Amino acid sequence: MSWVDLFSGICLITGAASCLFGAIGLLTFPDVAARLQAATKPQTLGLILILIGSAVRLEARDASGLILVGLFQALTAPVLAQLVGRAAYRAGSVREETLDVDHLAHRIERERRRGL
Amino acid sequence: MAEHAIPPRNSRPGGEHVVSAGHPLRRLVRRIPLLAWLVLVWLLLWGTYDLGTTLFGVLVGVLVTGFFPAPPIVTDIRLRPWGIVRLVMRLAWDLVVSTARVSWHAVAQGPRARAAIVEVRLVTDSDHLMAMVANAVSLAPGNFVLQLDRANRICYVYALGCGRDASERVRREVLAWERSVVRAVGTAEQLRLVERTHRGVEVD
Repeated sequence: MSWVDLFSGICLITGAASCLFGAIGLLTFPDVAARLQAATKPQTLGLILILIGSAVRLEARDASGLILVGLFQALTAPVLAQLVGRAAYRAGSVREETLDVDHLAHRIERERRRGL
Repeated sequence: MAEHAIPPRNSRPGGEHVVSAGHPLRRLVRRIPLLAWLVLVWLLLWGTYDLGTTLFGVLVGVLVTGFFPAPPIVTDIRLRPWGIVRLVMRLAWDLVVSTARVSWHAVAQGPRARAAIVEVRLVTDSDHLMAMVANAVSLAPGNFVLQLDRANRICYVYALGCGRDASERVRREVLAWERSVVRAVGTAEQLRLVERTHRGVEVD
C-alpha cells in the first residue's frame, strides 16, 4: 500500500463520514432551517474530500474535470441554503421555540406596527 | 440574494463599466477575462489539452460572448492575490471545523438544538462585497444569511448551536468574514474602514 492509497483512503472515508453525519442531522434536527444546515453543507465537505480522494488515484488529465464539480458545489450550496431558508422562514417553518434570539422577527414586528 | 445585488441603474456617474460602448478594441480587451474563463471551463470539460481543443474553445467562447453579451457590471473591487489565497484557506478551514461542529450537534443534541437569528450591520457599503460576505458566511454548515437589507447594510444571519451570547459571537464572526473579504478584493478605502472598525471592536 502506497502513501497515495493511504491518503486517498483517508479522504474517501472522511468524506463519506461527513455525508453520513449530514444524513443523521437531517433526521434529528428540529426544524427546516436546522435540517438545511445538515442537508446541504456537510455534503459540500464530503463531496470535496471524495473528489480529492478520487483525483489522486486518477491521471491528471482525467482528474482535472473534478475541479469543476467541486467549484460549482461550493458556489451553489450557499445560494440554495439561502433561498430555501428564506422561504422556510416566510412560511413559518422555522420553529420559534428553538430560537434564542430572533432579530428579524423584531424588525418585521416593528415595521408592521409602523404600517398600521 | 439576487434582487438585492442589482445596483440601481446610473446611480454612480463616475463608475466604470466593464463592458462599455467605447472603442471596439477596448471592448474586446475587456472581454478577455470572461473569454479566458470560458476556454478554461471548456478545456476542463473535455479533459484534453491540445491546440485544437483550445482553438475550438476560443471560437465557442467568442460566439457565446458575442451572441449573449453580459450586462455591464459596475464594480469597484480590487483583486489582491495574497488576500484571496488567505480567504480561500480560511473558507476551507472553516468548512472543516464547522462540519465537525454541526455533526457533533446532530448526534449529541439533535432535536434539542438551539439557534439564533442575528442582525449584523456590515461596515462597508458595496453590493459585491455584501454578496461575497453573504456567500462566505453561508458556505460552511451552521450559519447562513437568511435575509439581506441592502439599503441599511444589514445581514440577518441564522446561526445553529450558539450559546447565550449568540448575538455578539455571530456579529464578530460575520465582521471577521467581512474583513477577510475586504482584504481579498476591497479597495484601499474600504480596507482602512474595516481595519479601523476591527480595532474598535477589540477595544470594546
